[in-house]
Amino acid sequence: MDRLLYVSSVGLNNIEQAQAIRANNLANASTNGFRADLARVMSTEVQGDGYRGRVYGVNDTAGVDLSYGSRIATGNDLDVAINGDGLFAVALPDGREGYSRDGSFQIDNAGMLLTQEGFPVLGTGGPIALPPFESILFGADGSITVRPQGQGPDALVQIDRLRLVNPTADQVRKDSTGALVAAEEGVTQLPPDEAVTVVSGFVESSNVNAIHELTEIMSLARQFELEVRMMKTAETNDEAASTLLRIG
Amino acid sequence: MNSALWVSKTGLSAQDTALRAISNNLANVGTVGFKKDKTVFEDLVYQINQQPGAQATQDATLPSGVQLGTGVRVASTQKEFSIGSIQTTERSLDMAIEGRGFFQVTLPDGTVGYTRAGGFTLDQDGQIVTAQGYVLEPAITVPQGSTDITVGSDGTVSVTNAGTTTQVGNIQLADFVNATGLEAIGGNLFRETVASGAALQSAPGQNGLGQIGQGRLEASNVSVVEEMVNMVATQRAYEMNARVVSTADQMLQYIAQNL
Repeated sequence: MDRLLYVSSVGLNNIEQAQAIRANNLANASTNGFRADLARVMSTEVQGDGYRGRVYGVNDTAGVDLSYGSRIATGNDLDVAINGDGLFAVALPDGREGYSRDGSFQIDNAGMLLTQEGFPVLGTGGPIALPPFESILFGADGSITVRPQGQGPDALVQIDRLRLVNPTADQVRKDSTGALVAAEEGVTQLPPDEAVTVVSGFVESSNVNAIHELTEIMSLARQFELEVRMMKTAETNDEAASTLLRIG
Repeated sequence: MNSALWVSKTGLSAQDTALRAISNNLANVGTVGFKKDKTVFEDLVYQINQQPGAQATQDATLPSGVQLGTGVRVASTQKEFSIGSIQTTERSLDMAIEGRGFFQVTLPDGTVGYTRAGGFTLDQDGQIVTAQGYVLEPAITVPQGSTDITVGSDGTVSVTNAGTTTQVGNIQLADFVNATGLEAIGGNLFRETVASGAALQSAPGQNGLGQIGQGRLEASNVSVVEEMVNMVATQRAYEMNARVVSTADQMLQYIAQNL
């Protein structure tokens, strides 16, 4: 059997995986704060004796795309978007710190500031607890001011400040829950960055570029057909070889 | 089978749910006291086919692994309690809450329901009731023969009967730490849940609650333009996910026919 068949079948698998990554990006084109996954294929030569003609493609998620999504005005006091680079810090259930661009916050019955997934949003001193308030304001540097219930506008209370970080794309990766975490093994926290600013009343949409993803999907589909064509050629070659062996 | 098929299927069903919430908002654009729903999406768990940071050789680690997302789901539909526009009706039993708070009504099962729809009427006993006939809590009875009903901004209800004015009761409002956590039960009514926290009662205008505006109604807070834009975005997202399904289908078809 010609090994061409195996090279192509690995190619088919890679295309299917890349297709799944693209499809997941497109499925999350309306998920606020979602960061697109990148896909790439590395060529890996098979080591050993003989003719060095077997180079397999090995799939590799090249991390996440940290470019910006578009900002949508909601007018909601609990919606916060980050200006430029930066991420919000949240407490993941396993104790690690997660990072997100989704600033569509909510509060629970105890006044804890939570993300839509229900993870506590972190301030400089851990999870943020808010007293019953009439109005809330997020300052540009992430500081939170509330007007407590039943108090006048002269009784504003500063609660905490959002913990904002600004890692480079290679310092974060997605874990299996879809949250961004520190990429380096053993690191649970990234240092805060004072320069990150926020604006309230806006949410940031997903940064998935639907046109790009759809084009990639089309191009992958054509590549898939090419691979199948190669497998077909391998089959024809094989048939030709067996005809040679036929006697008479 | 091609996993892109299943991933796109989650996209299709999530957009479908979003469209349903949008159509419900649009259908209730004229419902007094209606609060719009917002659909919130979140990405599903990732399958890790190759762990990032794993050992590639004895002295090299893989810079990044293979992580495949599995799609999207609707995390929640959230009620947005922003205040709708106030319409003047001049009807004496129309009341709008100008700020935070909910009217309390007694539901048929004896529990208390909460509503922002202030279009009240009187029942055969003279009690102030909602359009569905649920009695306002605390119950206020307007005596027969009353000619004029006045509701003060602090909730005091007084009536004029044969030239004399008497107070017949006080409207109490309820407030919640997390109003978004209330359970919508239809009929413009909400029920208290663990997520919303317990109801905090006080008189209108006290403790941060809104005052009562007599002769006014609070319209729904649905913005038609916003819903239309959301509808366009949802429809296009739906179409693109459908496109991925058909592409994955064509790929499978091609391999099945050509190998």
